[in-house]
Amino acid sequence: MGKKLIIMKNITKRFGDNLVLDDFNLYINENEFITLLGPSGCGKTTCLRILGGFETADEGTVEFDSKIINNLEPNQREINTCFQKYALFPHLNVFDNIAFGLKIKKLDKATIHTRVMDILKMVKLTGFEHRAISTLSGGQQQRVAIARALINRPKVLLLDEPLAALDLKLRQEMQYELKEMQRELGITFVYVTHDQEEALTMSDTIVVMDHGKILQIGTPEDIYNEPNSRFVANFIGESNIIPGKMKEDYLVEFFNKEFECVDKGFKKDEAVDVIIRPEDIDFVPPSKAKIVGTVDSLIFRGVHYEINVMIEGKEITIHTTKYRKIGDKVGLSVEPNNIHIIKHIKTCVD
Amino acid sequence: MRRLRPYAVPYLLWMGLFILIPTIILIILGFTNLELYNIGVFDITLVNFSIFVQDQVVNALWNSLSYSFVTTLICFVIGYPVAYYLSTLSEKKRKILLAMMIVPLWSNMLLRIIAWEKIFTPTSIIADIFGISLDLLGTPTGVLIGMIAMYLPFMIFPIFSVLEKMDYKLIEAAKDLGASDLQTFVKVTFPLSSGGVVSGVIMTMLPAMTSFVLPARIGLGKINLIGNIIESKFMKEVLGSSGASINQGAIISLLLMVFSVISFVLITRVDKEGETLI
Repeated sequence: MGKKLIIMKNITKRFGDNLVLDDFNLYINENEFITLLGPSGCGKTTCLRILGGFETADEGTVEFDSKIINNLEPNQREINTCFQKYALFPHLNVFDNIAFGLKIKKLDKATIHTRVMDILKMVKLTGFEHRAISTLSGGQQQRVAIARALINRPKVLLLDEPLAALDLKLRQEMQYELKEMQRELGITFVYVTHDQEEALTMSDTIVVMDHGKILQIGTPEDIYNEPNSRFVANFIGESNIIPGKMKEDYLVEFFNKEFECVDKGFKKDEAVDVIIRPEDIDFVPPSKAKIVGTVDSLIFRGVHYEINVMIEGKEITIHTTKYRKIGDKVGLSVEPNNIHIIKHIKTCVD
Repeated sequence: MRRLRPYAVPYLLWMGLFILIPTIILIILGFTNLELYNIGVFDITLVNFSIFVQDQVVNALWNSLSYSFVTTLICFVIGYPVAYYLSTLSEKKRKILLAMMIVPLWSNMLLRIIAWEKIFTPTSIIADIFGISLDLLGTPTGVLIGMIAMYLPFMIFPIFSVLEKMDYKLIEAAKDLGASDLQTFVKVTFPLSSGGVVSGVIMTMLPAMTSFVLPARIGLGKINLIGNIIESKFMKEVLGSSGASINQGAIISLLLMVFSVISFVLITRVDKEGETLI
């Protein structure tokens, strides 16, 4: 990974009384695919708009290529945006939409033509150059929007939930293609989404946000396997969060049983939350298991069954390919490295 | 909804009676030498077209075209920025300003014309209060100001309604792609509002072209538009003087009708949902 291309320092942004970004700090590397992930209203779009120049931060600085760009207009930034609902120009055809930025730069006709044709090929829309925008499908419009931004060869491409309006199949296809484009072009992508699966699939780095603050920054693997809070654990995939107690380093107690784990650094007998992913729990014969419960409900999900098991009045969700009937007694086991311990934070929502 | 159909019948009849039949009568009058007091004996003829070479009529046609053109141009120059400004305002401020434009429109047009007539008199209330004495009655300037004041809202509303519905993201997209404010306006905002501009131009130009009370009152009859000629042709006939004047009035009216129909077709071409027609 290259040098730091963008540095956002102590960014604060309010809309009226609403604090949208709260002392926000983030750096973005060159050639990185970074995703801002969080629920709606967490400030991720505002963050993107500050980078694009459509909002100004109330406090803090935005550095781009070692220059402070707080007061630069959007048209002076080497950053292009792929807007959420595409924002294609309805009065221009596909060619003129894509050529817009190059015509502003007053490049000569032949160059514009070559570059538009090249990028049309890249987004697989060759032959569409004379089509009106209104005759394109959602997926095709999406491609035009990406082409229109990328043709300017920006250093950074901002993408604001660009796939939100597409159906599942198309979305997965586009995720793959976007990642490919980013790798080939070597452009930094800053991607905003509330879809955790999208974030995990495409990103080099995921920034999980809530209420204008960054909760965790890391690779998709880090974020998924080592969530640092209940919020992250719940937001990224499904999680079982079980109250427990830290007996000593590498030993945790929950469901009144002691388990080996890989975490340390807690006080003796400190109350903690134990996070276990549904797919990390295995069925074993009840006689060989530390924890035993009864199958409470069962849903077929295609690849796996989603089975809820009742243990001492608490429901645990398990994703497994093994079938169990409702009412079956089952033993459960978990590998030590699949037990994640985080500090217990009192919340009103369990 | 079918059950509601019978209730539309009265107005449909009304339209037939007062739009369709008069149009047919105009066509008959325009293309014959039928006389109002001698119905029954007439020949089909194109002789009424000879009116279009009379100095008085050529002059009035020229006045209609030139006054309506200048009015429309000035209305556009003043109106577009106003419409743009309105579209950028918060809803509350916008409502106040719109009310200030619309409410006066609800008062009778003749009253507003008479008001301008008074203002353009040297001894007007403005002269009393501010010491500004205007003497514009019977002048082209007076007629033009009156027409602009009368028709400006019809330029503003259609443009405003298009600009208001325009997706602001498109402007952001243009800037994102490197366009300056001016380039954004020229390449995105204005082309996207062109439907509203066409509607505005037609809705200003047509009534301006056909206005006749305003030039009669503010122009003191010195500046005749085509409407004034039509009026005088029909009034003369009613008063029982010159022979074929009603037929000549009819053929001029038909010419204006052709203008109107062409304009209507133009508007429906650029604005298929009729959204600029308020």
